[in-house]
Amino acid sequence: MEIAGFEFPDDLYYDKIHGWAKVEGNVVMQGLTNFGQAIAHEIVFAEIPRTGRDVEQGQTFMSMESGKWVGRIQAVVSGKIIEANEELEWEPSTINESPFGDGWLVKIEIADSSELDNLMQADSPELKAFIEEEAEKYKDVLS
Amino acid sequence: MKLNRLETVAWQDSQLLYHAQPRLGREGLNLLSPGAPYVCIGYFQDVAQEVDVDFCRANDIPIFRREVGGGAVYLDGEQLFYQLIIHRDNPLVPASKDAFYRKFLQAPIAACRALGIHAEYKPVNDIVANGRKISGNGVAEIGDYIVFVGNLIVDFDYEMMARVLKVPDEKFRDKVYKTLHENLSTIKRELGSAPPCEELWDLLAVKFAEVLGPLEEQTTVDEEWRAKADELAAQFLTDEWLYGKKRPGEGREVKIRAGLQVSQKMHKSPGGLIRATTELQEGIIAAVSLSGDFFFFPEEKLAEMEKALEGVPTGEVERAIANFYGEHGIESPGVTPADFAKVVG
Repeated sequence: MEIAGFEFPDDLYYDKIHGWAKVEGNVVMQGLTNFGQAIAHEIVFAEIPRTGRDVEQGQTFMSMESGKWVGRIQAVVSGKIIEANEELEWEPSTINESPFGDGWLVKIEIADSSELDNLMQADSPELKAFIEEEAEKYKDVLS
Repeated sequence: MKLNRLETVAWQDSQLLYHAQPRLGREGLNLLSPGAPYVCIGYFQDVAQEVDVDFCRANDIPIFRREVGGGAVYLDGEQLFYQLIIHRDNPLVPASKDAFYRKFLQAPIAACRALGIHAEYKPVNDIVANGRKISGNGVAEIGDYIVFVGNLIVDFDYEMMARVLKVPDEKFRDKVYKTLHENLSTIKRELGSAPPCEELWDLLAVKFAEVLGPLEEQTTVDEEWRAKADELAAQFLTDEWLYGKKRPGEGREVKIRAGLQVSQKMHKSPGGLIRATTELQEGIIAAVSLSGDFFFFPEEKLAEMEKALEGVPTGEVERAIANFYGEHGIESPGVTPADFAKVVG
């Protein structure tokens, strides 16, 4: 699905802070969308969370830096972090270069799959409306 | 919003107080200056790689890791700090980072202009006067708050800044010093002298009020704020916090301002170790110095090759070196233009 010129793969879920979630059994892989990395600019540092840590949906669990701005990343679902993309510590710009691929952030063993209902799907009118609104808000950055 | 006009505070309070405010759910604008010099590193930096810790310890210069981004800086009482703590949902907060910086940097820019300094916004987060940086700025998201910190530089100890940084050798330190001196200015340098601090604080307060709306001034730290800052001191003033982040090191880079950096990189090629100190301006090589234990014939052509690289974009270094090799019949056993390209830029 393409919205405002950005690709939103059909098989992913999305939150309102530009995170994506890919469900593989009871594990959710989380990343930053292409739109999210575009408004973040070049990511120069990423803090890798420790595995084994429990997180709540919407809870801050890692940080990134771009433009001397340390921003926080929130969990797309609740559960236990079972894997973190350690490559990002050495090559954080991978998040910019491959947001839906090698730039993934963490894998979370989901505690409650009903939380996926709080996220948006690629073909939902809610995601379309949200991204279009965001694109308008960030038009000076995206142009 | 509260204006906390604290003026001179203990060096550690110049950091701890703004870290405490978002944790107390308080918005505010702080205007203050540290009572003693210290070195402050960015949230993600590895102190051992960035700062000459032994020198700082021997000279009683404390080191602090802030939660805000950016690089290592030498801070002292000749710098006036502004620290804005604002809730992310405050209607004054623009959507994007760029717009945020542009909006709130208006205040220090207007203060400089009122002094007669032709200050301008340089994206993403610098203020420049006659092409030289005159203020450093950064942001951290702490809880639901955005913490924006920056300074107006009244005077600057360039030598000490270059001294406290960890550098591979004195040649690199000299390069950092010269580049800092050429590209970082101060109110004193721009005006020939600086107005009294009182006047500068007044000016900053007025200009921030134009951006933020009316400010309610207070000049002391209340009990709750003091207690939270003291509580944070137990975390932020420990070696565990300071040394808590380690990064891989294959080179060294010092960012002078947006678009200008000095780097030193090393590469072990089959023909020997190559070391390059490069000054990069907007992705173009402004100057480069090559050294190492490789063989390069004719030897005197190395300086010419350094010169030939000036003005070359980083992406075209290998081709430029290959051309130079062809034109001058260069021989460098075990070292190819591709090896040089790995360290230049």
